[in-house]
Amino acid sequence: KMSTNENANAAAARLNRFKNKGKDTTEMRRRRIEVNVELRKAKKDDQMLKRRNVSTLPDDATSPLQENRNNQVTAHWSVEEIVKGVNSNNMELQLQATQAARKLLSREKQPPIDNIIQAGLIPKFVSFLGRADCSPIQFESAWALTNIASGTSEQTKAVVDGGAIPAFISLLASPHTHISEQAVWALGNIAGDGSMYRDLVIKFGAIEPLLTLLAVPDLSSLASGYLRNVTWTLSNLCRNKNPAPPIEAIEQILPTLVRLLHHDDREVLADTCWAISYLTDGSNDRIEVVVKTGLVPQLVKLLGCSELPIVTPSLRAIGNIVTGTDEQTQIVIDSGALSVFPSLLSHHKNNIQKEAAWTMSNITAGRQDQIQRVVDHGLVPYLIGILRKGDFKSQKEAVWAVTNYTSGGTIDQVVYLVQAGVVEPLLNLLSAKDSKTVLVILDAISNIFLAAEKINETEKLCLMIEECGGLDKIEALQSHENEQVYKASSTLIEKYFSAEEEEDQNVVPESTAASYTFQIQGNTPNTFNF
Amino acid sequence: IRFDAYAINTILLLFLQRVLLLVASDVDALCACKILQALFQCDHVQYTLVPVSGWQELETAFLEHKDQFKYFVLINCGANVDLLEILQPEEDAFFFVCDSHRPINVVNVYNETQIKLLVKPDDDLDVPAYDDIFRDEDEEEEESEAESDGSEPSDKRRRFEEVFECFYSSFRREILFDYEQYEYHGTSSAMVMFDLAWIMSKDLNDMLWWAIVGLTDQWVQDKITQMKYVTDIGILQRHVSRHNHRNEDEENSLSIDCMRIAFEYDLRLALYQHWSLYESLCNTSYTSANLKLWSVQGQKRLHEFLADMGLPLKQVKQKFNSMDISLKENLREMIEESASKFGMKDLRVQTFSIHFGFKNKFLASDIVYATASLMESIEKEGPETTNFIKALDSLSRGNLDKLHQGLDLAKKQLRAIQQTVASCICTNLVISQGPFLYCSLMEGTPDVKLFSKPVSLCLLSKYLLKSFVCSTKNKRCKLLPLIMAAPMDVEQGTVIMVGIPPETESSDKKNFFGRAFEKAAESTNSRTLHNHFDMSIIELKTEDRSKFLDALISLLS
Repeated sequence: KMSTNENANAAAARLNRFKNKGKDTTEMRRRRIEVNVELRKAKKDDQMLKRRNVSTLPDDATSPLQENRNNQVTAHWSVEEIVKGVNSNNMELQLQATQAARKLLSREKQPPIDNIIQAGLIPKFVSFLGRADCSPIQFESAWALTNIASGTSEQTKAVVDGGAIPAFISLLASPHTHISEQAVWALGNIAGDGSMYRDLVIKFGAIEPLLTLLAVPDLSSLASGYLRNVTWTLSNLCRNKNPAPPIEAIEQILPTLVRLLHHDDREVLADTCWAISYLTDGSNDRIEVVVKTGLVPQLVKLLGCSELPIVTPSLRAIGNIVTGTDEQTQIVIDSGALSVFPSLLSHHKNNIQKEAAWTMSNITAGRQDQIQRVVDHGLVPYLIGILRKGDFKSQKEAVWAVTNYTSGGTIDQVVYLVQAGVVEPLLNLLSAKDSKTVLVILDAISNIFLAAEKINETEKLCLMIEECGGLDKIEALQSHENEQVYKASSTLIEKYFSAEEEEDQNVVPESTAASYTFQIQGNTPNTFNF
Repeated sequence: IRFDAYAINTILLLFLQRVLLLVASDVDALCACKILQALFQCDHVQYTLVPVSGWQELETAFLEHKDQFKYFVLINCGANVDLLEILQPEEDAFFFVCDSHRPINVVNVYNETQIKLLVKPDDDLDVPAYDDIFRDEDEEEEESEAESDGSEPSDKRRRFEEVFECFYSSFRREILFDYEQYEYHGTSSAMVMFDLAWIMSKDLNDMLWWAIVGLTDQWVQDKITQMKYVTDIGILQRHVSRHNHRNEDEENSLSIDCMRIAFEYDLRLALYQHWSLYESLCNTSYTSANLKLWSVQGQKRLHEFLADMGLPLKQVKQKFNSMDISLKENLREMIEESASKFGMKDLRVQTFSIHFGFKNKFLASDIVYATASLMESIEKEGPETTNFIKALDSLSRGNLDKLHQGLDLAKKQLRAIQQTVASCICTNLVISQGPFLYCSLMEGTPDVKLFSKPVSLCLLSKYLLKSFVCSTKNKRCKLLPLIMAAPMDVEQGTVIMVGIPPETESSDKKNFFGRAFEKAAESTNSRTLHNHFDMSIIELKTEDRSKFLDALISLLS
């Protein structure tokens, strides 16, 4: 039972252990990361760990070791002390006070933004922005103002009212990149507040110096954090509607966005795509401004990457563009977007499925040749798949896609849709609570009947609807509280089912042999003919 | 957080196929080990026991056995460093850690998958909140999680200091610093293990005795506060009466191999029932320091003290067993009374005794001294593990001969300590370095080899500091901690160094030397070896000693 640990203390092994345990630091680093990952898991497993009892820093230096660690002089100033320092005539003191303010505003919990505002510090800080003779105070005040502007609209307003916008725009040209970066950030916060301040920032002339910051031969030569901040601020300048940003401003920014769209940083790409999604969220002439830059193929390329942070905004942008004209939609199709949709329509994130189905609905609302491209890319089964088992929001969009398809498609296209099995899942959704969706479905059914009538396949369609339990559902809708639903369902019953019901009792339906059937679409054995 | 010690039985005893038991070399660990072995035995769990005297051996033992074992039980080792970092185990290796060392490393605390801590639920660990120490990584993750959701960028963003990675990390460092700066000890591992047995309804009187010895070890080694000791004695007392009350009525029916545990309010004189009262008085730190026995005055005081009790020198110098029965009656009360006249108000302590059959009676502290001496015996007999096994065996009641052997060694050890203390005080070897006292034993000092062993050196340091505090008139010095150094390995040119907290009445027994040693070593590039499970015990190259001490002084002043 007893195993002896044969004296591990060989002198060599021992010396090896003197200091640092002879272990490679990179190896240790790797391990630490792994452990941390595990810790996070453990954390999630056990809520008990969340008990929060800290902020219990000991009140006095009980250990002689403690004295060495308080090198942060400006750590805990009160607002009064800051005011005194800022109002003194001593530059050094002003700097320290500003830094103290910045630290207060940067702490995670309850930064005293309002206290700082009420103390009247903003005009002082804004004046410090212009102190080119003392770049540290420019930096500290820029940071402090950034954080004040990051708050509520009211807090942002205080910064703007203090005259910060032109001061920050001047700082964009600072020779110190950390200062110009901080100015970029601050302007982003101000512009991000809403259309009004966005346009004010634009009016003060922020765009040109901002774009100048990126006027380098190779974007990779810029620090990634810097580039990300500039991109984010540019995206805020494109953001918000009512009104949308001035069209001239957009035309000024767009070439840079196109350039950023070819950069290789994940975050830069994501924010650029978001900017484009904002710009395309508008009328057709707004879309036109974007599309004519020729960025759609690159956008489609990004749509096909597997990075969710990039896929989401690029899908949004593509979806916006296809709300435009048929020509604008055609550009998206010609850029190969449809080949990405099989994976988007079956994406593991419901949100992506929904947006993809929404995009499809706008394409199927297009020309018949555009619908045919949808068919040719094999996307109909994916739409039906969503109807069958997507989440409800995605189902609603898929319903729209189907209804638009049936309303604009050729008879052959509708036949194909039916053969692909749309009827049953579509009718199943009639039990949805949402009457708008029910109406849209009834519309689709009506469209399909119109097609069936043209090829004398009404009876078969009726049979299909009956067999999948759809008739019962339509009948039930006749007592729906919504008048439109009630009317639409009654019309359907009246038009296609009432007469037949009488016949049904007496006459066996005729065989299908002689008729022109939908089967010409192909001999798919598992689908119904009419 | 803490592993519910009481869910462990299922895991430990039902699922474990084979267990590797890694046991540190201290008496409490041995006692915990004995209890666990008994539990394993009754559940037929297969295990392998490996004694480990320090981190190196722990690591080596792990490396040697990691392929054959998935389950590792660590007793009195492993809690206070990041185990996963030093052992780099596979993901399917599990560690059950029963260790009184505090503070417990935060990674060990918050890793619930691979590390199971056996901690009594009422032991207050004061661990910093998870969010406060691991937050920065977390936030990064949350941030990137939000991004990977593909959600829209925020319209405004506040700039935190974390951009510079200074604020959070310094905040976190501060919290960790506060948490880690002091070493101390939690509940005795033997008691934790006994609790486990009790919860499983498998506790036996033998186990209870080991728990008592484990706790007593903490007291003898001065690892816990008086308050903690008394509280835990109370807990054990309830178990003792539960296990032993039946016998009280039928004392006559005691058989030879029967054992009985009893609560005692006995003298804190080391080994006195197995020694002579005189020797015990001379070699017990409490009496020797208070009477200042290293001086002629002190010797005089001792004789006055004996006279006050009316004990003839001849009787007192006899073996205690052979002392007049009449003198032994009311001896404790008599001694206590006189002692308080001589300023020794705490000569009696709450403890327990054990009777093996009729003849053999031991106090818990007797066992602690004997076992500890066996473990650090410098009489070379075979490989190093021999001492460990001997010490472990001496805890079984069938091994009275080993126990007596241990008692003899313990007497030698106590004498050596006392003589060394006397000579250090008389030759002024304890010097004030400003923030701490310092005493270094020279090569060639009698018994110096004994003090190359950590437990013995710690005992010596504590006795020396007590005596020094009684001897010095410098009030400031009375409040200082002590660093003691002794030659370790002459060939390699190393010393062993231990730092102990100040000897004050209200001492919380918290020790900051562990961290201080690390820092001093770091800042001077001293060649130190932090191998001991107590961070306040290190090995150091002799030639680096002066720069190391200089760094310590400036660090602590």
